[in-house]
Order: sequence, then structure tokens, then C-alpha cells
Amino acid sequence: MSANSGEGCEPNLTPMLDMVFQLVTFFMLVINFKGASLDQSLQLPVMGSARPLEWKGAHEPLILNVDLEGRVKVNGVPFPAEKYVSSEARELKDKLRAAGEKTDGELPVPVILRADKGVRFHLMNHVIKVCQDQGYRQFSLSAMTGKEEK
Amino acid sequence: MARRRRNKTKKGVELNLAAMLDMAFQLLTFFILTFKPAPVEGHLALNMPPPVPQTKIERTENVVEGGGPSIQQTEALHLFVTANDQGDVEQVKLENSVIASGQLTEPMKLVINRRLKSLFDLQRTPFDRIQIEVDRRLRYEELMKLIEVCAKQKLPDGSFMTKISFVEMER
Repeated sequence: MSANSGEGCEPNLTPMLDMVFQLVTFFMLVINFKGASLDQSLQLPVMGSARPLEWKGAHEPLILNVDLEGRVKVNGVPFPAEKYVSSEARELKDKLRAAGEKTDGELPVPVILRADKGVRFHLMNHVIKVCQDQGYRQFSLSAMTGKEEK
Repeated sequence: MARRRRNKTKKGVELNLAAMLDMAFQLLTFFILTFKPAPVEGHLALNMPPPVPQTKIERTENVVEGGGPSIQQTEALHLFVTANDQGDVEQVKLENSVIASGQLTEPMKLVINRRLKSLFDLQRTPFDRIQIEVDRRLRYEELMKLIEVCAKQKLPDGSFMTKISFVEMER
């Protein structure tokens, strides 16, 4: 008896470690790094017919978070649309040139417009015009698919 | 010496799992705290060429095989949307005729859809795109309702309308 109490109690940690590693693996798999580029403070409009975007192009689409003042938000920081879109378009054109792809003035990448539902048309139209001037023709308007919106 | 060696092999190697468990718990805590499920977002894909001024309405001729009378003209269908100060829809005009007045409710969307559908079903003058002239005060949410109706229209080839462009209404 006294010998037992001297040895102390040693719990078997292996099952607990297994379980914790399984949980870590789960969270690692479901973590969404793309979510960082989506501004969650925006209230998107609701549209029942909206479908997930199926884009299989070589280049990533341009995501624009448009706030109520018509500014483009990048990682929470508002930027004038002209400045941000032109720099992104320039970068894409350089990439396409380096890859030897011809554009014919039109950029083969869609613009994902995530605009607040309350933004007025003239502000929204300004952002669209800026994109069109840079050669973007394909647009994808983001909306919540159901009524589960905040 | 030999006795000591024998003792060692009997005991085996014992890993200290406590440190590994600590680290795993720290990782788990990080992932739990930063976990944010992605919202259910959908998209409406549109092909938006720069708008054409109404005074220069573009007419393109599609010559169908065989020629002769089967030459078809395609053009843009024009919608005009006015809004009130709150940014809600006040009136929707299709070319020159008023098709809806007041707030854009579900029944009104159905009315607009029916009117557009009747036009798109006409095979003689198929429209290949819709140009919406919008009041600058209109809220994006209201515009999206209208776009949703427009995007439901079927073209003669069976595909859905994706060519939609916007113009700001002159006040």
C-alpha cells in the first residue's frame, strides 16, 4: 500500500492526445484562408437564385468589397476604387504578358462584387465603370442565398 | 556492468506525452478561437460590356444559314428605373411603357418577369442584352431584385440572359 502511494498515479495520455490531434486536424482542414479577403461587416443583399461561383481559370478573380460610401475595402482598410482596381489590373496584365497570353483588351478574370445592400447605385456604378475601363468584362455579384442573413 | 545494461533494455523508452499534449491543446485553442464558418454566399454571373448610349443603339445582324428572310436583328432591351429618396424603386419602365409602380414587391417582380418573358418569347426580334437605366439614388438591394428578374429571361438559344449593363439616369 505504501509502495503504491509512493509510485503516484500516471494517467494514460495517449487516447487524449489522439483525440486532440483529431480535433486539430479537423480545424486545420476546415480553416478558410480565402475568408480573410471577404469583408464580413458588409450586409449583402439576399437573392434566392444566387449560385456558388464556379471559376476554374488560372488566375484568381478580383474580389471587391464595396462599402456604403462606395470605397473598396481591402482587409478592412478602405481604398479609392480607381487606385486599387488599376493596381490589380496592372499586376494581372503583367502576369498575362509573362505567360504569353493575349488579352485583346479584355481581362479573362471575373470581378466578384461584394457590395453592401444599402450602397447607392451611382457609387456602385462608379466601381463597375472603373473595372470596365481597366478591361474587366465578367462580373459576379455576390448575395446571400437565403434568409439566414444577419 | 552487464546487470545495469540488462535493466535499461527491460525498462524501454518512455516518451513524455505531457509536453506534446500541451502543444496540441495550444494548437486546438488557436483553431477554436479563430474558427469562423464561411457564410453561405451565392453569385450571379454577368457579362457586363460598357453601356452603349441610347442614341447609338447597336443593332447586330445574325445571318442564319440559308440567308434570305431569316436575317435576324438583335438589340438591347431598355429598362428605366426611378427611385425615391429612400432608395426604393418608384417606377419601372420598359422602353416607353410603365410596367410597375411603387415598391418592388414579389408580386411586382412577377409582373415584370411576365412582361419581359412575353418579349423574349418573340422570336422575330430577339434581344441579346438588357440595358438598365437606373436612378442614381437606387439602393443596390433593390437593383439586385431587378437584375434577378432580368437574369431569369431565356434567350432564343435556350441560355439565360447574362449580358446586362447599367447606365446612370440623367436627372
